[in-house]
Amino acid sequence: MSNRNHILCFLAAFCVVGCALIVGCGRVDRSNQVVIWEQMDPRERDLLEKHIAEFRVAHPEFDHIRISRTNYNTEDLRTQFQTAAMAMGGPNLVYGPSDQVGPFVIMDLILPLDELLRPEELARFDPSGLPTLEGHVWGVPDQVGNHLTLVANLAHVDTIPDDAEVWFEQLKRLTVDNDGDGRPDVYGVVFDRVEPFFLVPWLGGYGGWVMDDEANPTLDTEAMAGALSFLKRLKDEGLMPRECDYQLADTLFKEGRAAYIVNGPWSWDGYRAGGVDIALAPLPMIPSTGLWPSPMTAAKCYSVNRYTNPASMDATLALLRWLVSPAVQADLARELAVLPGDLAVRADPTLVADPLLAASRRQIDKGRLMPIVAEMRAIWDAMRPAYQSCLSGDLTPEEAARNMQERALRLIADMRE
Amino acid sequence: MLESRVNRLALWFLAPTAVVLLLVVAYPFIYNVGMSFTNWNMYHFRDPSFNGLANYFKLFQEPEFKNIFLRTFLWTGVNLVFHVTLGLGAALLLNQRLPGRPLYRALLILPWAMPQYISALTWRGMFNLEYGAVNLLLAKFGIDAVPWLSGEWTAFAAATLTNIWLGFPFIMVVALGGLQSIPVELYEAARIDGAGPIRRFFSITLPMLRPVLTPAIVLGTIWTFNNLNVIWLVTKQGEPADKSHILVTFVYKAAFTYYRYGYAAAFSVFIFLTLFGIVKIYQRSQAEEAF
Repeated sequence: MSNRNHILCFLAAFCVVGCALIVGCGRVDRSNQVVIWEQMDPRERDLLEKHIAEFRVAHPEFDHIRISRTNYNTEDLRTQFQTAAMAMGGPNLVYGPSDQVGPFVIMDLILPLDELLRPEELARFDPSGLPTLEGHVWGVPDQVGNHLTLVANLAHVDTIPDDAEVWFEQLKRLTVDNDGDGRPDVYGVVFDRVEPFFLVPWLGGYGGWVMDDEANPTLDTEAMAGALSFLKRLKDEGLMPRECDYQLADTLFKEGRAAYIVNGPWSWDGYRAGGVDIALAPLPMIPSTGLWPSPMTAAKCYSVNRYTNPASMDATLALLRWLVSPAVQADLARELAVLPGDLAVRADPTLVADPLLAASRRQIDKGRLMPIVAEMRAIWDAMRPAYQSCLSGDLTPEEAARNMQERALRLIADMRE
Repeated sequence: MLESRVNRLALWFLAPTAVVLLLVVAYPFIYNVGMSFTNWNMYHFRDPSFNGLANYFKLFQEPEFKNIFLRTFLWTGVNLVFHVTLGLGAALLLNQRLPGRPLYRALLILPWAMPQYISALTWRGMFNLEYGAVNLLLAKFGIDAVPWLSGEWTAFAAATLTNIWLGFPFIMVVALGGLQSIPVELYEAARIDGAGPIRRFFSITLPMLRPVLTPAIVLGTIWTFNNLNVIWLVTKQGEPADKSHILVTFVYKAAFTYYRYGYAAAFSVFIFLTLFGIVKIYQRSQAEEAF
C-alpha cells in the first residue's frame, strides 16, 4: 500500500472516531426540551405522565418543546444530579424530598424560586412546605407530609390504641405462632429497622430531636436512649421480626402477616390496591413523657437546575407552574391520599372529608419538619449503625446514643474540613 | 521493508483508538490526580484550592483504613481462589463427553449472564435471617439460623458467597476455550508414556492454559478489587456499622454521601497504585515461571 493510501486510511478512521467523539461528548442542545429527573413511585409516575399530557393540550405554544422524565431512587437522584451539574448539565427540573435541597444550595446547583415565581404564586403554599435557606425559596411542593404513620390491617386490628403501653400489650396478643415452629405467622408490627428515619418519631416521643438550631447533633441524650429501649423491647419480645428491612416489612404487611406497619404516604395506595383493608392512626403516645411520637415531615418539591438552557426556561417554568397547580395537587391528593402543599386545595371539603387524609393530617400535626441542612446526611449515617447495633443487642441504648453522637460529630467535621 | 510498512500501517490504524483512550481514560485519570491535591468538597464546590498532600495524610489517618485495606485483600484473594478453582473445575467437567453438556454449560453461565444488580439484591433477600432461602436450607440440616447481614464477618461472607457465584463462570468460559484449543495428540502421547490424569493436568493442561488464564486472572483481580456493586448492594452500603466496606465502597461513600471529592480522589489514586503494584508483581512472577 502506498503512503498516500496509508494517509487516506488514517484520515478515514480518524474522521469516524472524531465524529463519534463529537456526537458523544458534545454538549446536547437542550434549547427545545424540558427534562425532569424525579424520585417517584410507579403510581406517582403514571400521574406525572398524565399531567404532562394535560399540559401539552393546555399549552400548544410549547408544542415544539420535547418533555421527558427520568426516574431515580432518592440516593441516585442526588448523586446523578450533582454529577451532571458539576459538568453544567442535568435536567431542567429535579423533583424529590425537600431535604436534598440543602446540599444543592451549598453547591450552587439550583436557582432561587422567589426570583423566578411571583410572590403571590408562592403565597399559595403551606410555608412549612417551602424549603427555605439563606432567605430564598428553593423548591415548590406538590405534596407535603412524607411522614411515618401507624397503618393497621383491619383484618387483624379492631381498635387502634393511642397509648404506647396499651398498644404494646395489644401487639403481644396479635403476634401469633399458629404452627408452633417458633416463628410467628403474624407479627404485631413491622417496620424498617435498618433506616434511622423509622427511629426518629420515637425519639420525639421521648422528648428528643436530632440536631439543634445550629445543625449540631443532639443524639447522646436520655430521649435517644429511651426511644432505642422502646424499639428494642418490641424486638426482644418477638413482636417484630428479628431482622427486617423495608422490603420485608412491606411484603409481610401486604401478605397479611403483620397487624401493623409503620410507613408513609407513598405506601398507602399500594396497600389499598393490594386489597388490604387499612386504617391510619398517629403513632401512640408515650405515657412516661406524655408526648406523641413526632415523625419527620417534608415536602416533595420541584427545583430548577441552575444550568437550565435559557431558551427553555419559559417552558420549564410553565411546566413547573402546571405540575404544582391546584388542579394537579387535588388530583394527587384524591389518587394518592397525600396532603396537598397548596393551602386552598387542602381546604377542599371533599379532601377534608376523606378519612385517610384526615388521619394522615392528624399525624402530620404531631410531626416535625425535617431539617434541610446538608449535615443531616452525617446525622443519618451516624445514627444508622448504632441503631442497628442496638437492636441487634451489640450495644446498649446508652452506648448507642453516645456512639451516634461521636460519629456524627466526626462526620460533620469531615464534611466541613 | 514490507514489514516496516505493515507496522506503520498498524500504527496509523491504532492512532484513533489511542486518541479515544487518551480522552476517556488518561484525561479523567489526570483530572482525578489533580483533584486529589485540592480541598474540593461540598463547601468548596465552586472554589477548590490546592491543599498539597493533605488528603493523602488524611487517608492514612483514617481510623478504619487498615481494616478496610486488609479486608479488600481478603475479599480479592478469597474470591479469586474460588473463581479460579470452581471455574477451572467446571471447565474441565464441561470439556468431557457428558450427556446434556450444552444444558450444564448454559446453567453454569447463567450467573454471569444475569445483571449483577439483580443477582446481588436477590442474594441479599436470600440471606434474610428468618425468611431467607439460605437459613431455611440450613434449618433442614438442623443448623441454627445465621444472622448473615447483622454481623461484620457474616455480612462479608454473604457478599463473598454472592460474588463467588457471580464470578466463577468468567474463568470457566475462558478456561473452556483454552481447553478446547489444546491438541488431543499431547494427551494421547502422555497417556502412552504412562502419565496419569493428575500428571497430565499439571504437565499439559495447566501450562497450556497459562496464556489464557493469566490475563483472565489479572482481569479478575482488578474487577474483584474494584467490585462496588456486590458489597454495596448485598451489605446495603457497608452495613453493619460500615464494617463490611472494601476500598472502593468506602471511596464511593466519601465522594457521593459526604461530598468529599478531593479526599475520595486521593483514595482512588491510592487504589490505582495498589492495583498497579499487584498486577506488576503477578506479571513478573508469571514471566519468571515461564522462563
